[in-house]
Amino acid sequence: MIAIEHLSKQFGDLVAVDDLCLEIPPGEIFCFLGPNGAGKTTTIKILVGLLRPSRGTARIGGFDIEKNPLEAKRLIGYIPDLPFVYERLTAQEFFEFIGDLYDIPRTALDNELERSFKFFGLWDYRHVLVKDLSHGLRQRLIYCATFLHAPRVLFVDEPLTGLDPYTIRLLKELLISKARAGMTVFLTTHILALAEDIADRTGIIMNGRLIALGTVAELRQQWGGRNLEDVFLRLTADPRLNIGSKRNK
Amino acid sequence: MAVNSALFRKTLREVFNLRRLAREQSRFKVVFIGCFAAGCEAGLGYLFFDGFRWLDRLGGFGGLLVGRLFALFFLGLGIMLVVSSMVTAYTTMFRSRETEFLMAQPVSINAIVVYKFVHTAALSSWAYFLVIIPFVLAYALYTQASVLFAVWTFLFSLPFLVLCAGIGCALAMIWLRWIPRGRWRGLFWLLVISGGLAAWLTTGRDGAGSGSEVRFAVSRLVPGMLLASHPLMPSYWMAQGIMSLCGTQWGRGLMFGGVLLSSALMIVICVEWFGSKVFHDSWLRIQMGPTRSPRRAPLFKGLDRWLGVMRCDIRALVLKDLRTFVRDPMQWSQALVFFGLLALYFANLRSLKYGLLTPMWRNLMVFLNVSSVASVVCSLGSRFIYPQLSLEGQEFWLLGLAPTTMRRIILTKFCLALSGLVPVSVALAVLSAVKLGTTPAAVAVSAALAFSVACAVCGLSTGLGAVFLDLRQRNPAAIVSGFGGTLNLVLSLVFMLAAILPFAAIFQGYTLDRFTQPEFRSALLGASLWLAGITAVSTVVPLRLGIRALQTREF
Repeated sequence: MIAIEHLSKQFGDLVAVDDLCLEIPPGEIFCFLGPNGAGKTTTIKILVGLLRPSRGTARIGGFDIEKNPLEAKRLIGYIPDLPFVYERLTAQEFFEFIGDLYDIPRTALDNELERSFKFFGLWDYRHVLVKDLSHGLRQRLIYCATFLHAPRVLFVDEPLTGLDPYTIRLLKELLISKARAGMTVFLTTHILALAEDIADRTGIIMNGRLIALGTVAELRQQWGGRNLEDVFLRLTADPRLNIGSKRNK
Repeated sequence: MAVNSALFRKTLREVFNLRRLAREQSRFKVVFIGCFAAGCEAGLGYLFFDGFRWLDRLGGFGGLLVGRLFALFFLGLGIMLVVSSMVTAYTTMFRSRETEFLMAQPVSINAIVVYKFVHTAALSSWAYFLVIIPFVLAYALYTQASVLFAVWTFLFSLPFLVLCAGIGCALAMIWLRWIPRGRWRGLFWLLVISGGLAAWLTTGRDGAGSGSEVRFAVSRLVPGMLLASHPLMPSYWMAQGIMSLCGTQWGRGLMFGGVLLSSALMIVICVEWFGSKVFHDSWLRIQMGPTRSPRRAPLFKGLDRWLGVMRCDIRALVLKDLRTFVRDPMQWSQALVFFGLLALYFANLRSLKYGLLTPMWRNLMVFLNVSSVASVVCSLGSRFIYPQLSLEGQEFWLLGLAPTTMRRIILTKFCLALSGLVPVSVALAVLSAVKLGTTPAAVAVSAALAFSVACAVCGLSTGLGAVFLDLRQRNPAAIVSGFGGTLNLVLSLVFMLAAILPFAAIFQGYTLDRFTQPEFRSALLGASLWLAGITAVSTVVPLRLGIRALQTREF
């Protein structure tokens, strides 16, 4: 579903993504880990068409994101770490606007509005302006609107920032059920427990290069350690901080 | 097409929801803004009307000018619209988070460009309509024209607006796509400025040498008149079209209307086509630009040694505020534009022959100029000094826990703002008075007024900023538009009037021989005491209130 071939991105002298090759099949939850500034968000931005790669190609559902951006974007749902929402629309108006963008028929939209808003606990807030919603409710609204056009690939950047345990559980179960239904989920996070909980495969990126790839069990087997945190710290240990090497002795 | 209609339906809903947002605003603020806008419109209308009557009194030449004034008026508005659209396009098209959101949706670049172009035109047009309404009403009253005059002006204004906004958007895209950045930027601007100067020196001096004597005389008297009346200029089409339709020359009027409309439609097509080619690249260039460049040496590295005489907490605050100010182009660029324009105008007072006016007019000009400096000080104080404490935001606990006092924090912010505003405002006020060739007393009073207004505005803005502290708000515009921000602006403007009007009246009375010398002196002494008193009260009271509010506040 996602095919990345020799993808690179340079900003001046800085190589943010370096010769990345990756294939992610349909229905997989892929977790992309890495320290701050490793190139995770840049990779996602290239995959959703917000940045152009310096070299290489990225295809979503067979469509090259550079050559067929509109076709590829119809298959994509993207939730950035700080999502944009129209604050002067009500929750329902925002949802309807997204439906209009994806040309969803009005009757289907109305049905989905009720079902989806009730599922996410937004029904009572449907006439509230987005600016007056709490962070958690906004985040639920974003997920609700993103799932509206039934994307085949979902990109999520830091999905659990600032959410309460109830919403975290809700989102984790939702992502798993969507993946089981065939949606490919590509997410980045710093919460390693989340990757251990839900990821089918995990990739670790460091200085723009993919340095490890596999299931959590495979990574532990290959790099040692009790859990994903040990693997991550060993692979990305910053010699100046002396954290990873110390813990893994 | 479905995407375009979705975007416009969304915009309509946002506009509709503004009613809801307006209900949440303080009534005081809404009433104040409404009254202020109505007052401005009425004042502008009166000035335009009086201007037309004055030109009429000049006789034949004045009548000739009135006929051509329309073209000049629309040329001026057109230039303003183009510049305003360029600036607005930068924020709405390239800096808006909405653009990033839309780029990740299945929305074509063409659709984004057209949508953002309409946004830009709408946002940059409010000032255009604010100026055009009193001008048109004044002209209609002066000529006793029919209601149709206003209708034609409005109908002609729409394509004119689209035309100018289109040029502005296209220029913004060209600028952001191709103007060099980084190390080549300096060289580029050096070349542009040298080229401009060379062109001005070689061609600018004999531009009005051709045509009839009347045209020549008019163009010499009113700069830009020849350009505004050129048959290829949209300002000419506007002026001629409206005049012809009012004079029931339907064919000629509709021809100009058609030219304007077709040009506007053409520019929309051009913007869409051009945008589809360059917008994505320009947008990427902006996104990847300055945030990726590593910071070089710390700003004002040596300044901390110079500030060594200060206590360490005050020095830290001063350095932090200076660095923040310099790294926020929004702040210093606005101050630079406002004060720069005033400096340019004051420096050219002699070129504009204002120094040759009668003493009464020169006296009036001195106080009007001091008022313009004071207005800029009020707006900068309201926009930048008032929200500075609130903008410490969630990090305010850093100051709260630091081994310093709230009193020192507020006084440091006050002194820093004062040290920035006083030299510029006093220098401008003195420059204006000197260039007008007024008496030493008027020069001294101008300087004193500028100093007092700067003091009071800094005191009010810093003090009220602490009283109405809002640490949750990250958006400075939202902080300024709250109750405290509005109150601060109202009080600053009231102070400005209370300070300047007595002196203006006394000098005017003396110039018109309504006061004797001793009466003038004692009136001046009284006004000076009044000024000192209100300055002290407006500076000290808000600062004390602010200090008390911060000392008793729980964070």
